[in-house]
Amino acid sequence: MADVKPVDELTYKEASQELERIIRALESGDMELEESLASYTRGVELLKSLRTRLADAEQKVSVLLADVDGMETLVPVEAADTSDQLSF
Amino acid sequence: MGAWNLTGTTPASEAAPKGDALSVSQAVEMAAGALDALPLLTVIGEVTGFRGPNARSGHCYFQIKDDAAAVDCIVWRGVYGKRTFDLRDGMQVQFTGNFNLYKPTGRMSFVAKSFTLAGEGLLRQQVAALAEKLRREGLMDESRKRRIPAFCSRVAVVTSLSGAVIDDVKRTLRRRNPLVELVCVGAKVQGEGAPAELIEGLRRAAAIEPAPDCILLVRGGGSFEDLMTFNDEALARAVADCPVPVVTGIGHEPDTSICDMVSDRRCSTPTAAAESVAPAMADLAELLAARERRLGSATQAIVRGASSQVDTFARRVAAAATGRLGQLRAVLDAAARRPCLQDPTYVVDRRAAELDQTTDRLAGVIVRDQARHAEVVARLVPQLMASTSGFAGKRHALELAASRLGHEGRALLSAPAAALSSQAASLDALSPLKVLARGYSIAYSDAGVATSAAAFKPGATIRVAMADGEVTGTVNDVRPAEESAG
Repeated sequence: MADVKPVDELTYKEASQELERIIRALESGDMELEESLASYTRGVELLKSLRTRLADAEQKVSVLLADVDGMETLVPVEAADTSDQLSF
Repeated sequence: MGAWNLTGTTPASEAAPKGDALSVSQAVEMAAGALDALPLLTVIGEVTGFRGPNARSGHCYFQIKDDAAAVDCIVWRGVYGKRTFDLRDGMQVQFTGNFNLYKPTGRMSFVAKSFTLAGEGLLRQQVAALAEKLRREGLMDESRKRRIPAFCSRVAVVTSLSGAVIDDVKRTLRRRNPLVELVCVGAKVQGEGAPAELIEGLRRAAAIEPAPDCILLVRGGGSFEDLMTFNDEALARAVADCPVPVVTGIGHEPDTSICDMVSDRRCSTPTAAAESVAPAMADLAELLAARERRLGSATQAIVRGASSQVDTFARRVAAAATGRLGQLRAVLDAAARRPCLQDPTYVVDRRAAELDQTTDRLAGVIVRDQARHAEVVARLVPQLMASTSGFAGKRHALELAASRLGHEGRALLSAPAAALSSQAASLDALSPLKVLARGYSIAYSDAGVATSAAAFKPGATIRVAMADGEVTGTVNDVRPAEESAG
């Protein structure tokens, strides 16, 4: 674990992949006890962060628009409305 | 007959006099001739009642129909053998041929000399041909299909931005997994120019920075013609060549377009396509819960392993120590059991016992030796006795010799003895002792018989031997003889 980035700087996917790696390493049983305890601590940290992100997740939607010069820009738009109410 | 007016019209007595009536054969013949007079016809109709070529003759008998009419249709074996597709019920087919009337039954049939697919059927055939072409090129090979990440965090959607489909995709992913970031790229999905717009949409979507994990190419349900856009060869090639994996969701379940065939993943609907790019939040939560359990149990296992290892070490240390102590104890016990420590008198006792044994052996040996010697002696006695048996004779001879020797010896000595005694008498007469007896004495100095007075000095010892003894004295005075002689 040479590249220990603070958990908050990881994307969900990176954090998820690192957690899986840690668990696999722990499950392989080849780790020194000290290393495994450090990994466990890191794993718990990742787990907590991932849970928080799941709970707080907000959909991000944007539209790719090309202007007259052909420059592409991403324009954020409203997230989907998930209420099941019908609107007319 | 005339009393009945069955038709309600005036009797056609003049138009068809009884004598002018035709036989059925004549009538059918007329009809057949009329049909034969028709030129070669091309008819479009839907195939119905098709049951394949007749098992015996190989000809095909079925009907073609439209909304208002139907007619029997025959395709002779030779014609059907040259077909480019199999006829099936429901197909819109264009038949070229002539009407024919089979006189024995009066049935009219359309006899097709050739037939081709028409309308949608034709389109489907063209689509199938294109699909086959692309398949041969390997564009549909499983090995070409790229893996779509199980959890795409950034997804581009190429579709019409005005339809309901884009909202469906957004709503589906918002419900399922709001962590997925959506980038919408608008393009016409049907009609003139749609394939070109979609191709451009794919290009733009793939060029987004950072690149999306996959592109959703979706379109809602529609007629076959509506969905024809997605059977466009150029679009299909663009999908296959897209640098980003493409997931298709075009139309509804049974619809399959060529884009579906060449895409990296084909889903039956836009919603299904959206659902396929990321796991549901509930699944993620479950996955996290599972990982939490695995993390816990793996760590616990490691700690338990380490702890049991420590226990093992402890047991081994204890066992090793016990073993070593046992060894030492055994050595000590063995030493303690040594006779010299168990019984200090043992050494002496053993020696005493040995001595006793030796004594016994010695005694035994002596007794045995004695016995043996006695035996030897006993054996020697008779030998000795035997060897001394001649002694008596010899003793007698010896006694005889001894007496003779004595006799001879005496005889030999008598003469010298007489001489000797005479000589002794002479000698006796001459002996100084006789002189002494007459009163002479002999003086001795320390140096022996003194023949001169000079042999003495005053104070010296003088011994005087006389016939019956000796006198010892000290010299007081020495006087030479001239005085006395004087």
